[in-house]
Amino acid sequence: MANHKTVDYQAEKGIYYKVLFGLLALTALTFIQPEMFLTQYTFGMQMLIGTVKAWIILMYYMHLKGEVLIGWTVIFAVFIVVFFFSIVMIDVSNFQYADVSHITSPAQ
Amino acid sequence: MSHEYVPEIAVDREGKEHVVQGWQGDYEGGKLGFWLFMLTEVLMFGAMFMTLTYYFTLHHADFIKASSELDRTLGGVNTVVLLFSALTMGLGLLKMRSGDVKGAKLMIWLTILLAAVFLGVKAQEWTNDYHEGIFLGLDSMQAGGGKSFGEILFFGMYFTMTGLHGFHIIIGIGLMLWLLKRINSGKVSPDHHILHFNIALYWDLVHLIWVFVFPYFYMTGAGVIHG
Repeated sequence: MANHKTVDYQAEKGIYYKVLFGLLALTALTFIQPEMFLTQYTFGMQMLIGTVKAWIILMYYMHLKGEVLIGWTVIFAVFIVVFFFSIVMIDVSNFQYADVSHITSPAQ
Repeated sequence: MSHEYVPEIAVDREGKEHVVQGWQGDYEGGKLGFWLFMLTEVLMFGAMFMTLTYYFTLHHADFIKASSELDRTLGGVNTVVLLFSALTMGLGLLKMRSGDVKGAKLMIWLTILLAAVFLGVKAQEWTNDYHEGIFLGLDSMQAGGGKSFGEILFFGMYFTMTGLHGFHIIIGIGLMLWLLKRINSGKVSPDHHILHFNIALYWDLVHLIWVFVFPYFYMTGAGVIHG
C-alpha cells in the first residue's frame, strides 16, 4: 500500500525552520535563566523550559499534532511515569532509613 | 540510480514468488508499533530520571556543586548540534515524502555527520573530565577520595545516563546507514517511506531525551560561584 500524499514542501519546510528558531530561542533561555531571573528556582525553571521544548518537538518534529490514538498512548505512558514519580517524591520526602541505607552518606 | 520501489519477495516451495505484505505496506500499523517501542524507551529513561530525582532530593547541595563542575560550553554545543541534526533529519523525511530522494539522502548523511560531531564533543568532554579526576573507577571517585557521597552519586548517574544516551546516538547512526542502504536498494521510496519516518522518530526521541538530560546535569548547578 502506498502512503504517498501530496506534500506542500515549502509550507512544511517553513514550519521546520520556525520550530528550529523557537527551540534555539528556548535553548538560549536555558543558558540565560540561571544568571538573569528566578535564580532561586533554577531547577524548576530548567525543567519548565525543557517541558516546553519537549512539547514542541513532540507536536511538530514527531508529528503528534492531530494524532489522536498515538497522542493518548503517549499521554498514558507519561502519566505512568509521573504517577510513579509522585510516589517516589512522597517516599523520599519521608526518608527514614539513613542509618542503614546505601544511598545516603555513611556519615548521616 | 533508480529509486523505484522494490517490494520484498518470498518464494514458496514450488518456486512461486509472492509479494510480502509486511510493515512496509502498513503505514499506520508501522507507525503505531514504533511509538509503542519508543514508549518503552520513555519508561526506561523515566525510571532513570526518577532515580536521579530521588538522589537529588537526598543530596541537594552536593548535586548542585557537582553540576557546577561540568563543562556547560561543550554540553551547550552538543545541544545545538542535536537541534540542527533534528532539523536535517526532518527535512530529509520531507524531501523523501515530496519525491526528492537524492536530497533526502544528502540530509541523512548530514544528520550522520552531526551525530558523529556530537559523539566527538562528548568524547572530548569525558576526556577532560578524566584528566580532572572525574571518571568512573578513579580513586578520586571512591569513598574518601575527596568527593562527597552525593557528588559521587551525581557523577555515577551522569556517566550512566549520558553514556546510555551516547549509545542511542551510535544506534541511530547505524539505523541511518541501514536506511541509506534500503533507499539505494529501492526498499524505501517516496511511496513507501515508513522506515524513514520511524527512524526520524527515533532520532527525535534521542533529541527529546537530551532536552531533559542537558538541563538536569549541566544547568542545575549554573550560577554557583566557586569561592
